[in-house]
Amino acid sequence: MDWKSIFGLRPLPKPGYIKAYEQTLLKKTSKAKPIRELDFLVLDTETTGLDVRKDYVLSYGAVQVSNNRMRISESKEFYMRPKKRSKEAVKVHGLIQVRPYISREQLIRSFLEDASNKILVGHHLGFDLAMLEKLGKTLGLKKIKQPSLDTFELAVRLEVGKYHNPNSIAAQDYSLDKLCERYQISLDDRHTAAGDALLTAQLLLKLLKLAERKGIKTFGDLMA
Amino acid sequence: MVKDGAIKLTDFIDGEEQTIEFCDEGDVFGVLALLGKRPYILSAKAKENSLIMAVPVGIFDKILKENSQVSLYFASGFASGQVVVRSDLSQTQKVRTLLGNNSHQNGLLLFPGQASINYSQPVIQCRIGDTISKAVAKMSTDKVGSIIIVDENNCPQGIITDKDLRNRLIAKGLPYDTLVEDIMSHPVITAKKDLEFSQIYLNMVKNRLHHLVFTEDGTCQSKLIGIISDHDILLSQGNSPAVLIKALQDSSDVHEIAKLRNQAEGMLIYFLENELAIDFIAGIITEINDTIIQRAIAIAKARHSVDFRDVCDTPFCFLGLGSEGRGEQLLRTDLDNAIVYEDVPAELEEKTRRFMHLMARDIMDILFACGFHSCPAEMMANNPEWCQPLSQWKSYFSHWISKPDQQSLLMASIFFDFRAVAGKVALAEALTEHVYKEIGKERIFLNFFAKNALLNPPPLGFFRNFMVEKSGEHAEKFDIKLRAMMPLADAARVLVLNHQVVGVNNTFKRFEKLAELEPNQAELFKDAGKAYEIFMRIRALEGLSASSSGRFIQPDSLGKLQRQLLKNAFFPIDEIQKILRVRFQLDYFGK
Repeated sequence: MDWKSIFGLRPLPKPGYIKAYEQTLLKKTSKAKPIRELDFLVLDTETTGLDVRKDYVLSYGAVQVSNNRMRISESKEFYMRPKKRSKEAVKVHGLIQVRPYISREQLIRSFLEDASNKILVGHHLGFDLAMLEKLGKTLGLKKIKQPSLDTFELAVRLEVGKYHNPNSIAAQDYSLDKLCERYQISLDDRHTAAGDALLTAQLLLKLLKLAERKGIKTFGDLMA
Repeated sequence: MVKDGAIKLTDFIDGEEQTIEFCDEGDVFGVLALLGKRPYILSAKAKENSLIMAVPVGIFDKILKENSQVSLYFASGFASGQVVVRSDLSQTQKVRTLLGNNSHQNGLLLFPGQASINYSQPVIQCRIGDTISKAVAKMSTDKVGSIIIVDENNCPQGIITDKDLRNRLIAKGLPYDTLVEDIMSHPVITAKKDLEFSQIYLNMVKNRLHHLVFTEDGTCQSKLIGIISDHDILLSQGNSPAVLIKALQDSSDVHEIAKLRNQAEGMLIYFLENELAIDFIAGIITEINDTIIQRAIAIAKARHSVDFRDVCDTPFCFLGLGSEGRGEQLLRTDLDNAIVYEDVPAELEEKTRRFMHLMARDIMDILFACGFHSCPAEMMANNPEWCQPLSQWKSYFSHWISKPDQQSLLMASIFFDFRAVAGKVALAEALTEHVYKEIGKERIFLNFFAKNALLNPPPLGFFRNFMVEKSGEHAEKFDIKLRAMMPLADAARVLVLNHQVVGVNNTFKRFEKLAELEPNQAELFKDAGKAYEIFMRIRALEGLSASSSGRFIQPDSLGKLQRQLLKNAFFPIDEIQKILRVRFQLDYFGK
């Protein structure tokens, strides 16, 4: 009997979709590939808070961007069933909307499928990835270690330069709201995961155009 | 669909790539191919980094079929790349009504079932040759206050009302066997029964009719079919323009008149929001303003007649100028007016002049008290320069026509729209006749005048965005009067003068008239007229909501649809200006 597995001391065998995902990581994108030919997965999560250890994911939204197009028909919007839903809250807020609730496994599976061979993009992406990693941990997902791009960092890099002094940057000037305002993106559907992902995708497109003008033209330039 | 950025649609004409149209934020392009299920004709190129939303054909088709607002939107030529220079504006207006906000639909309906009229029938009538006593007996049994007199063919010949019986029969001591035709009012004003309610109503308000008779073909040579009285309307309508005008006519108190004028503003808002025809609205408001002026004149005249017994009966005519003269003044914007009076013998000249000036001063003070604004250039009757005898007016006009410099042309564009508001109309007519005679002598004047009409800058920039003011108080705002309305009003004036048309002052009526006179350009002229109505409506609504003259509009404050409507309405301006250019050979005409 595999006691170690039963008591969670050793992970269960990895499901096939995680293995498939890990396979894709071996394939490296050529550094010379022009930006306009790159495939991106822009994502956002809404969580109960900002503490990766205590808080958990409520919803997930993702938009694919390839060849400078946002593929709206391929976009995803998922809600995790809340662990405990206070009946009082339902009474007060009337939150009995029917939502596409899915399980942890379904979410991770969908995410990994979409993410394969793509560059992950998000605003303060690190946090979203940490939350997803936590979510996928018990399913056997170790690390999300594919190329990723943080629109926050990209915006700072393009506006202030690569070698800026991080202490001189006021983070609030590079919030998603502020950036959307600056790049003339209308704030529709702000603060839902799917809505924010779409805003981030638009921001990404605008930033990439700006990057091209500044001489950042290839995958290699972008990741440097 | 352009989310942001700018797209140009191009086509190859004679082997050269030419830009057909620019699309900016919110514009839709490429639809024609979808609607017609045929290949794209134009190429689309991004002028700058643009975000385009692509709608899959399947989804588009489904929406188009299931949503009537969407299909109308496309049917009316809102989408770009339809390669129509002039979209049919009547269709556009229909769409706007349909897509317009419905929030005011709950307001009290001023014209219940306004499409149809409920006229009384059968009409109480008697024959020519009947005696009064027989007619009165009929009126009494049917409990009505009026009776229509018909001939042997049942065509209406006259009408007798309670008032006629009192004034023309009893007061005169005539016997009851007097024949009806001896005291009847005639001819009767008749109308066709299928006229729109608003037209009938306007007709009655204008002619101060108490009764309107309907006949089969609308003339008094056809069979009588019905009658409607103002009383019928008042009973069903409560607060109506007729009531307001009646109240104004009966009032001699300035405060009362001012109060009534404010009430009229409420009515105007209601009319505009309910998309009533602009010629109807303008007609009513003009009638109300005219009535106020007439009251003001009566008050002022009575005040000064005592001191000027020998000259107070000198005939004079009060002229409305500019938008007031054109009968297009919806808001109480600047007053432009003048007084023309009959020439008097030399010994009375000075006294008449003083009387007229005093009267003009008081008239204007009353109008200011009613909320009208004074003209910054003082083109008003209380300016001695514009309160003159007929001979002086004639020489003014002769001067403007024979010496068309910048100043003259400016004057001409204001004064040529004069309209008799009150007083002796013959004086205004004499002036009109004089103007045409002078223009006949100096044909070149019209070329100058036409050139002047082209001076106003075009409404749209190269990228199909609104040309906004660059600086000053109204920076970033669009001047709808200068850039959209004046070019059309100026063009209409020149073209109408060229045709020697008399008595049509409204810009939109002038275009209607032009469409009649020139059938091959009828479409364009009709569109221009409708465009003008759209501008008037948008300006009035802007003015009412901002408590301003409505002249300066923030393009962003308009919805996408309103912006598109405005842009569509700009098309005729360009075309009309082309007509002026060709007709008056302005390209060869000295600068």
